Amino acid sequence: MTLISTSLNGLGLVLLTHAVYSAHEHSLLPTTAALPLDITIELLAAVLLLCIGIVLASPDLKPIKWSVWGGKLSREEHKAAEKAGDVTERDPYEQLDVRRGFLDIRSKRQDFADWVREGATK
Amino acid sequence: MSATLLDPPPHISPPTALHLSQQAPLVLASSPASSLPWPISLLTSSETPETWSIHENLLLACLRTGDDRSARQVLDRMVARFGDENERVMALRGLYEEAVARDKGSLEKVLKEYETTIKDDPTNMPIRKRHIALLRSLGRPTDAIAALTYLVDSSPTDAEAWAELADLYASQNLLPQAIYSLEEVLLITPNAWNIHARIGELLYLSAISNGEGGASYKGLAEAMRRFCRSVELNDGYLRGFYGLKLTTSRLLTLQVPKRNDSSAEDLPLPPVTTIEKLNELATTKLAEIVRRGSAKESGWGGYEEAELIAARELLNRDGANVVR
Repeated sequence: MTLISTSLNGLGLVLLTHAVYSAHEHSLLPTTAALPLDITIELLAAVLLLCIGIVLASPDLKPIKWSVWGGKLSREEHKAAEKAGDVTERDPYEQLDVRRGFLDIRSKRQDFADWVREGATK
Repeated sequence: MSATLLDPPPHISPPTALHLSQQAPLVLASSPASSLPWPISLLTSSETPETWSIHENLLLACLRTGDDRSARQVLDRMVARFGDENERVMALRGLYEEAVARDKGSLEKVLKEYETTIKDDPTNMPIRKRHIALLRSLGRPTDAIAALTYLVDSSPTDAEAWAELADLYASQNLLPQAIYSLEEVLLITPNAWNIHARIGELLYLSAISNGEGGASYKGLAEAMRRFCRSVELNDGYLRGFYGLKLTTSRLLTLQVPKRNDSSAEDLPLPPVTTIEKLNELATTKLAEIVRRGSAKESGWGGYEEAELIAARELLNRDGANVVR
């Protein structure tokens, strides 16, 4: 999909530039004749190609139904953000189960120590 | 499983904590603060908004794994950046002191410190929460509940505090109070599917302890409604479908109580055909989740192994009943 949209956008930009340049050159002529039809057609075709290319290049739409969106969050594995600016979405309500402000650090430490001991005995 | 310091999972398992805390030398090697004097330091510092959330997550991971030296260094950096009086930094320092405390006496000392801080500034929410968490950790749930009810009284829109209160009540087997607190959470976040499921679970627990009478049937019907709402909000929610299946299967084994013992203001009991349909729906959904989740099909990798095993067991148990 990216190949198609990139080539459409590229072609559209070339045609647009060409059409605009031709129109400008035509306006410099001493005659007062109307703009030739082929320039108009080229311009419209370029805009159409660009429209299609940009729409194809846009990212997938997000679900607008709450249940579908929630189901997607539950079903799909979460990819953690690697660097600043990565867009990742998490289950927003899980923090009500975790409650970081009330973190019981001593029991978590104990859990970790138990896990290490278990690994050592195995 | 992917986990980075910038974006750690909410439930951190011991291997993940180890993986996260091992990145400590990397983070500590590059200092975000600049050593140059003030106007130039603004230009040369490499600080971004993410820097400090990385530091905070690293501190928590280090405390979990017992890497107290790195934790101390991270904490010192935060104190140097935000000052001693910052509420969040104060809470993190309290967390550090709790974690490194060796005996009960030093924990009591930390508790005393929290109490003096709260006396000086009663609006310091992070420290109030630490105070309650430490009370609970010391095995004094009654004191924790008293402090927490006072906190939600003064800050009734704090969903996290209400959820903690519900958990404390549930741990003391005070189910009606726990359900009330969860309903308060729902007033703040009406679409929280996990809270709907949690209320369903508590209603289920209180209904099965009620015996087999009409009250039990009504409680189970109410639990079923809660689970229905949670899967209505999230159509891939394993916990919701699990509860729905459990409650409907149990409702189908019970005798439907007579009409006259339900008072006028209650919702009418659901008809048996609806319960059967819901049971079927939950079974198909669970079967699909178990099948595709265990096969790790693409777009189905978000379920935890333990949850899938539990769901498979429930399905097998039900299947065995039908064969008999």
